[in-house]
Amino acid sequence: MLTRIAFRNVFRNRRRSTITMLVLIFGATALILFGGYKEISFYGLRESTIRNRVGHLQIYKKGYLDSESQKPLEFGLENVRELRRAVESDPRVEMTVPQVSLMGLVTNGEKSETFLATGVESEKDQKMSAQRLVAGESISDQENDGVIVGELLARSMAVKPGDFLTLMSTTVNGSLNGMDVRVRGTFATGVKEFDERAIKMPLAGAQQLLQTTKIEKLLVLLKKTDDTDSVKRDLESRFSQNHWGLEMRDWSALATYYHQVKNIFNGIFGFLGIVVFLIVIVSVANTIIMSIFERTREIGTLMAIGTRRRQIWAMFFLEGLLIGVLGGILGIAFGSAVGELINQAHIQLPPPPGYTTGYQLRIMLKPSILVTVMVLSSVTATLASVLPAFKASRLKIVDALGHI
Amino acid sequence: MKRIQLLTAILFVLGSTPTSASALTGSEILKKVDSLRNPLSSFQIDVDLISYRNEASETWKMRVFGQGTEKSLVEFVDPASQKGQYLLMLNDAMWIYLPGTSRPIRISPLQRLMGEASNGDVARTNYSIDYDAELAGEAEAEGQSCYRLELTAKDPGVSYSRVMLWVSKKNYEPIKADFYVVSGKLMKHAYFREFGMMNGNRAITAIEIQDAVRAGRRTVMRYSKLQPKELPEKMFNKNYLGKW
Amino acid sequence: MNTALIKLKGIRKSYRLGKVDVVALRDVSLEIQAGEFVALAGASGSGKTTLLNLIGCIDKPSAGSIQLDGVDVTGKSLPALAGIRSRRIGFIFQTFNLLPVLSAFENVEYPLLFAGLGRSQRRKRVWQWLQHAGLRDQARQRPDQLSGGQRQRVAIARAMVTEPSLVLADEPTANLDSGTAAQILDLMSQINSETGTTFLFATHDPRITERASRQIRLQDGQIAGYALTPEFHWRLANAH
Repeated sequence: MLTRIAFRNVFRNRRRSTITMLVLIFGATALILFGGYKEISFYGLRESTIRNRVGHLQIYKKGYLDSESQKPLEFGLENVRELRRAVESDPRVEMTVPQVSLMGLVTNGEKSETFLATGVESEKDQKMSAQRLVAGESISDQENDGVIVGELLARSMAVKPGDFLTLMSTTVNGSLNGMDVRVRGTFATGVKEFDERAIKMPLAGAQQLLQTTKIEKLLVLLKKTDDTDSVKRDLESRFSQNHWGLEMRDWSALATYYHQVKNIFNGIFGFLGIVVFLIVIVSVANTIIMSIFERTREIGTLMAIGTRRRQIWAMFFLEGLLIGVLGGILGIAFGSAVGELINQAHIQLPPPPGYTTGYQLRIMLKPSILVTVMVLSSVTATLASVLPAFKASRLKIVDALGHI
Repeated sequence: MKRIQLLTAILFVLGSTPTSASALTGSEILKKVDSLRNPLSSFQIDVDLISYRNEASETWKMRVFGQGTEKSLVEFVDPASQKGQYLLMLNDAMWIYLPGTSRPIRISPLQRLMGEASNGDVARTNYSIDYDAELAGEAEAEGQSCYRLELTAKDPGVSYSRVMLWVSKKNYEPIKADFYVVSGKLMKHAYFREFGMMNGNRAITAIEIQDAVRAGRRTVMRYSKLQPKELPEKMFNKNYLGKW
Repeated sequence: MNTALIKLKGIRKSYRLGKVDVVALRDVSLEIQAGEFVALAGASGSGKTTLLNLIGCIDKPSAGSIQLDGVDVTGKSLPALAGIRSRRIGFIFQTFNLLPVLSAFENVEYPLLFAGLGRSQRRKRVWQWLQHAGLRDQARQRPDQLSGGQRQRVAIARAMVTEPSLVLADEPTANLDSGTAAQILDLMSQINSETGTTFLFATHDPRITERASRQIRLQDGQIAGYALTPEFHWRLANAH
């Protein structure tokens, strides 16, 4: 009976209930939309960081991560073919990408700039496609000295596809080396500092310039990101069993930007949650307090005819809980609907700072967000009613009955 | 990277004892060449370096202290903005010290690619120690009749893995040298312009180095006042740079 | 043997209004027998409601003792008296005081929740009293769909559903027109004679005081006098 009374009391004052519900619905929707936006952003950033940049795992020679060597590839990986075969034997692995990076001077004969080059196998690079080709064509394993160049570097060197440049660097032994290269194309990553210095070249060409067969690191790309931890463990045990002297990092340890972005967004989400929490508490508390005020005589009557104080308290407490639960359900329904609408609308957002391309606004309706919203709504509304309900139960019968 | 350009500390110089040549093997000719560069084991020498970029030029004056074949310390004397700076070279490692700082800064091989440091490597070349020589015939260079020597680096760590050296048939003085890197690319031309008397012996007193890759760049280095000098070990210890 | 239902001795009630102590009742003593139909008469401010509240165990006296149905309720706290209230006393108010979110049936059923009766037993009682109050057809309706008279009938049914020994009614007819008021009065009188439930009214409605078997007049917090009405005599005569 008490539950019945509490339930019916929720709808008693149509206008007030509607407003309270609207507050809950808007709060829930705000959280669902922002939460969904951040989740999809995380997902997108994570996958692009992994598949276009760092890979799921990176394998190095032991000592590489702590080294401060003056000579390039002092801690380079050898026996590359054997290692790759071993890693690729795991069906969860999609491919392995060997990489070498080097620095040096690039000159067009008149002007020289420092460059930062990555040596990769062309087909693997295509699959990772971290850069957008602006002109010309990409690198090819058929031409070891054909490179692609960041567009700002190309501009500085005044070269276009087909022109030549000279790369100068030091070999792994410390002697000097220089190599004439043909510009096959220019690319843009969207990051200015990178496009001013970057060169991509075939792995074999980089190794030639460095005079080595070693590689700097081996990237491992998996079919599913969720497999990362188990594959890492398996590889680690295999490495130690065979005494290969290797060390590994997973993408999470390498994706510092991703983690920074994640922390910022989660912080904002938390802040938003607090704001919603406060608004809902105030709104529901106000609703309950006004109900109690209007029903004072009713409370007196109930107590006069035998209702105990704790039952009065329970009645209002339940009313708060019901408001929270109902508001939560409606909020989730409305929020999810709005989220879906946004997804269907294919809205395009402008590029974020430092990038050149925009992306579609999407909301990811993750169950954990919906559950959080439901819990927040219920708990907040319940909390809001605790104190007023307690006060109601402590009313003096005589005073309550004499109330207007 | 202007300071690095100063790196031309290049001189370094490693001495080697002169021998009197009887036969004309490649290695013996090489030894004669080296003897013109600096025969002393512990010395001091003044260097003027003029760096040309097309028509513009900059001049630095330095004093170099050297010990053995692998140690040299360069003191910058002029211009005033570089005064008080030091460059220390030990084997393949290089440090620069700037007045007012607490520690010298290590210079990576890569940084040495830039500016005048690369010329330093050229001028520092110790032919007989770092290269095997083969007499590859005769040719004309700078209007003189020369022996042509093909030099191959003994160690993969040597800066220029191959050198083509033209030596005067008349007096075994070096006339010209072309420096190649591992890939076979020609990087520098060196011309031994002037010879004179220093410390009682005949020596190379001016060398001109042209950049074969970047147009319009050349450097002229003039040597003078070579004298033997006792130098304390401390001078070539990087922890004492600037402290004496 | 004096087995009065209600026994008040030396009742005094004062309360604080701001900085002043107001004495609502001073030295009131009275007895009411079971089965009586008594009216507490007096002008407003005379203390009738206060007296009713004390007897109804929803307020405590400042001094004096109250005995109800043999139980001394003076020492007990109000929450402890909730049980006595729910089982032995029924309340009827001037403003009906029904729960607007419950139907007539549910309103009447409410007090039975504290009586420990099973569901079917409760339903039986509720229908019984709805019938008695002439509200069978209105059982599913909410108070806002009922007339004033009908609402008071629901209140009466609610008061009676626990089969209390005593019903306290504070100005039950004040919000009703004369025709309806008469009907309500008839109903209560009928219940009184059929079940023997004691009725105690606080009122200044002369129709009630006429119908009461006894009048207790209050003035300025004290009993100013008793009056025995023709009704009293009539009952007395018919008691044998």
